[in-house]
Amino acid sequence: MYLLGIETSCDDTCAAVLSDQKILSNVISSQVNLHAQWGGVVPDIAKRAHQQRIEPVVKTALNRAKLNIQDIDIIAVTQGPGLAIALSVGLNFAKSLALEHQKKIIGVNHVEGHLLSNFLQNRRGLPLRSQSFPALSLTVSGGHTKIVLIHHIGQYQIIGETLDDAAGEALDKSAKLIGLGYPGGPAIERLAKTGRPDFLTLPSPLPDKKILDYSFSGLKTAFYYQIKDWPKSKIAKNLPDLAASIQNAVFSTLLRKFELAIQKTQPKLLLLSGGVASNLTLRRKMRLLAKKYSLPIYMPFKKELNTDNAAMIALVAFYKAQKQQFSDPDTLDVNANLEL
Amino acid sequence: MLILPLFPNYQKALTQTAAEIQAGNLVVFPSDTVYILAVDPSNQSAVNKLLAFKNRWPGKAISIAVLDVNMAQKYAYLNQNTLDLYQNLFPGPFTIISPGKNLLARGIEAENQSLGIRIPNSPPVLDLLKILKKPITATSANLSGRTPHYSISAFLKTLSLKKQSLISLVVDAGVLPRNKPSTVIDALESDLKILRPGQILLSPDHQIISNSETETSQVAKHLLNKIKNYSPLKPIVFLLSGDLGCGKTVFARALAKNLGVTQKILSPTFVIYNHYSLSHPTLKSFYHFDLYRLKNDFEFKEIHFFEHFNCSSIYALEWPENMGQKNLNKLKKITTTIPILFHYLGPTQRQISFTLPQP
Repeated sequence: MYLLGIETSCDDTCAAVLSDQKILSNVISSQVNLHAQWGGVVPDIAKRAHQQRIEPVVKTALNRAKLNIQDIDIIAVTQGPGLAIALSVGLNFAKSLALEHQKKIIGVNHVEGHLLSNFLQNRRGLPLRSQSFPALSLTVSGGHTKIVLIHHIGQYQIIGETLDDAAGEALDKSAKLIGLGYPGGPAIERLAKTGRPDFLTLPSPLPDKKILDYSFSGLKTAFYYQIKDWPKSKIAKNLPDLAASIQNAVFSTLLRKFELAIQKTQPKLLLLSGGVASNLTLRRKMRLLAKKYSLPIYMPFKKELNTDNAAMIALVAFYKAQKQQFSDPDTLDVNANLEL
Repeated sequence: MLILPLFPNYQKALTQTAAEIQAGNLVVFPSDTVYILAVDPSNQSAVNKLLAFKNRWPGKAISIAVLDVNMAQKYAYLNQNTLDLYQNLFPGPFTIISPGKNLLARGIEAENQSLGIRIPNSPPVLDLLKILKKPITATSANLSGRTPHYSISAFLKTLSLKKQSLISLVVDAGVLPRNKPSTVIDALESDLKILRPGQILLSPDHQIISNSETETSQVAKHLLNKIKNYSPLKPIVFLLSGDLGCGKTVFARALAKNLGVTQKILSPTFVIYNHYSLSHPTLKSFYHFDLYRLKNDFEFKEIHFFEHFNCSSIYALEWPENMGQKNLNKLKKITTTIPILFHYLGPTQRQISFTLPQP
C-alpha cells in the first residue's frame, strides 16, 4: 500500500510517501529561516508559505519515492490540532488531489502522528520494533506536552498534559530571556552541556503526586524573576549555568511526572516523541528511567521524525486504512482544537 | 416572620419585599456578597429597628445600596475622584464612603456625616431598587461583631426569638457562594483608604491586589460585568500588559472561564492566537492573542491583524505594546479597549490596575 502524507499544521510544509510503514520519501520544507526574523510562527506568513510550497513539496516527495500520483492508494492529511489557516492549506490541497485522481483520503490527528512516529521504518524495513501494549508515550515539543497511554493503536488515553505552556515553549522563552534568540531550545542544549544544573534553585511545579499534569508557566516566571535585575554582563558570564539550570528544571519535571505515570499505568513499552525529543540530555535521562523499570524505550529512528513531518501522518493513515477508517472528502474539515 | 423563596416567583418576591420595605419593615435579602438587612434608610423608625437588631452603637455608619450614580448623588457629595471610582468599581463588591448630604434617617450616616454607598452586582437587589426608586440599607445580615452569613438557616439559628420578631420577611435564595463582604473604601480625603478588605483587595494606590488565581478570577468576573455598559457595535479588547510571568495568561484564562469556556486555556505564544467558541447569547468567540514574538509595524500588516476583530467576539491580547503606537491607536478606534496592567509584587501576589473607558 502506497500512502502520500501531507502536513501543514504549523510552520513546516511537509509531504511524505510511505509503502506501508516504510518511508520512501520524507520532505520537510522547514521555514525556520523565514520565521527567524519574526521570533516565532506567524499564522498568515505560515499560510502564505504553505500555499507557495505545498505543490513543489508534494512533487518532490513523489519524485524521491520514484512514484506518480496515480500509484498512490491513500492520501493522508493533518486535520488538527494546529493553526486553522495553515491546516486548511494542506487539507484543501489534499482534498483536491483526492478528487482529481479519485483517491481515498484520511484525516489524521497531528498528535497521534507524533505518538506513532516511533513505528516508522526506513526503506529497508528497519528498525524492526515489536509493538507491545499498553505503551506509555511522552510527546514534548514547542506546542505540545502530553503523556498518553496507548492501549492499542487507535485507542488513546491522556494521562497528563500541560495546563499552560508547553515544555518547549518554556525553554524557548527562557532562551529569549537570556538573549539566545529563536528557536532557543537547541541553543539551551548546547550551552547546558558545560553548565551547572544546580546554579539556580527553581521550583518543581505541581508537586502533588496524584497530579500527572504539567505546568511550565511558573517555572519560566521563577527563572525570569531570579535574573531580571542582573546586568547583561552577569547573564552573559553565566550563560551555560543558566541554560543548564532551566533545562534541568524542565526535564526533571518531565521525568518526575512521567515516572509517576509509569508507576500508575504499568506499561510494557515507553515512547518518546516531539521536537524536544532531539535533545540528547532528555534522551539519556529517558533511557536511564526505562532501565530503572526494565522497560524497552523507543525514540524515532531519525532526527527529522521528532519534529513535525508528514511520514508520521501517513503512518497513522496506514493503520486507519487497515481498519477501513476512511474520511468522507465532503465533510472532512480542519479542526484547530482537535482532541486526541 | 415570613420566609419567602426568591424563585420561582421572582417578580412576586420582589414586589412583596418592596411593599415590606415601604411599610417600614426589616427584610433579610440576598446580595452579591452576603445576605443583607434591608430597610428604608429614610424612615427613622425602620432604621431604629435595624439598629436595635444589630446591637449597633449609634454613630457607626450603615451602608446603603443604590441603583446608579445618579441615585448616589442625591444622598452624597461625589467628587471627580469618587466618580472615577464609581465608574471603575461599580457595580461590584465594594462600598465607597463619601460625605453625606444628611438627607437620611439618623444612624445611617456616621457621626462625621460620612455615608457608605454600594452598587451591588446583584440583579435581585438592583431590580428591587428599580421598584422602590430609592435606596435600601445594605448592611450584612449579622449581629455587630459577628461573621456574616451565607445561608438563611445558619443566620436564623444565631438569633433569639426577640431578634427574630424584628424581622418581617426573609427572602431566601439558598446558600450564597462564599464571597467575602464588600471591600470598604474611604473616599473622604484625596488619599483613598481601605477600611475593610473584601473579596477584591485594593492596594494603597487604588490598584487591585490579587493573592491567588481565584482572586484574579474575581477581578476578571468583575470586569466582564462592566462590558455590558459599552457599545455592542465595537468589539471589547482587554489589553494585558506587564512583564513575563506576571499573570497575563492567568487573567486571560479567568476571562475565558467566566465566559463559559470549558477547554483548557493554553498559552498562545507558539501559535500567536487561540480561538474558543462560546455558547453565549451575544458573543460567539473568545480570542486569546499573544503578540510576544511580534516586533514591528511591518509584521502587523503581514498577519492581517485587524481583520480578526468583529463584534460577535471578545478578545484578550497579551503584549499589546509589541504592536506599536500607530497600530494601537487604530485598534482603539475600531474597538473598545480596556487596558489592564499587571505588576509582580511577590511569588503569589500581583497588582492589577485598569482604567475603564467612558461608555
